[in-house]
Amino acid sequence: MDNEDLKTYFDEQLFLPHLQAKTKDELLKEIVDQFVRVKYLKNSDIVLEMLRQREILGSTGIGKGIAIPHGRTTSASEIMIAFGKSKEGINYDSIDGKPVNLIFMIIAPPQDERNMYLPILGKMVEILNKAKNRGKLMSAETFEDFIEVISKG
Amino acid sequence: MDLLVALQDLDMMIEEISEVKRLGFSAEREEELINAREELASKINKPLLYSYEKLKKRYKRAIVPVKEDNTCLGCFIKLPTSMSAIGRTDANVIYCEGCGRILYWLF
Repeated sequence: MDNEDLKTYFDEQLFLPHLQAKTKDELLKEIVDQFVRVKYLKNSDIVLEMLRQREILGSTGIGKGIAIPHGRTTSASEIMIAFGKSKEGINYDSIDGKPVNLIFMIIAPPQDERNMYLPILGKMVEILNKAKNRGKLMSAETFEDFIEVISKG
Repeated sequence: MDLLVALQDLDMMIEEISEVKRLGFSAEREEELINAREELASKINKPLLYSYEKLKKRYKRAIVPVKEDNTCLGCFIKLPTSMSAIGRTDANVIYCEGCGRILYWLF
């Protein structure tokens, strides 16, 4: 999985630079609702339930202001990644106890032809582990700026 | 149908726990997930659950999405439009004529 490959999984319609959510539940709902609005998903309840179960398993707040809620769902036909940003930060029960500002939601179908779901998750963790990338993502105001960070990762 | 879909979503999550842990994600409460899975399974009628488990053994994924163009994403055959009108209601469990998997209409 290289950065050029990764950027093909993003869509401007799933770029949310000004999230309104104040809580973890509101955050998951706000992003899933956007997937439904742009017709990537039909049933928000099923996907929200899957994401909540994932959070019961362990928080996807990986620390340093980052959350990567993720999972496979029968309600999806392709891998999709949404990006959301909260300047104020959202309490997410992260592993370091800090609020999250940068959120990547990765939704995958039951089976994907090229089996890219886990490599994508791994690549996202790799990119977000770099402090300079986190800083650039915080200041990315347009989808073009955002994609440039992902491309250069 | 929604319960069955939720069950498969949980099964897929349980199946990939070790991989997501390897990537550095927290996934410590596996037992709670397994309990949630058992509770959900108990709400599904027995013949349907049996059919799901049997298909899961055979194909790994018992339920497959159907795309807007009526393609089964398990075997990629085009399904008759008459079938999709029934399948879209969510109340009916429909099996693919090609591969036998349970179909879930996305649109």
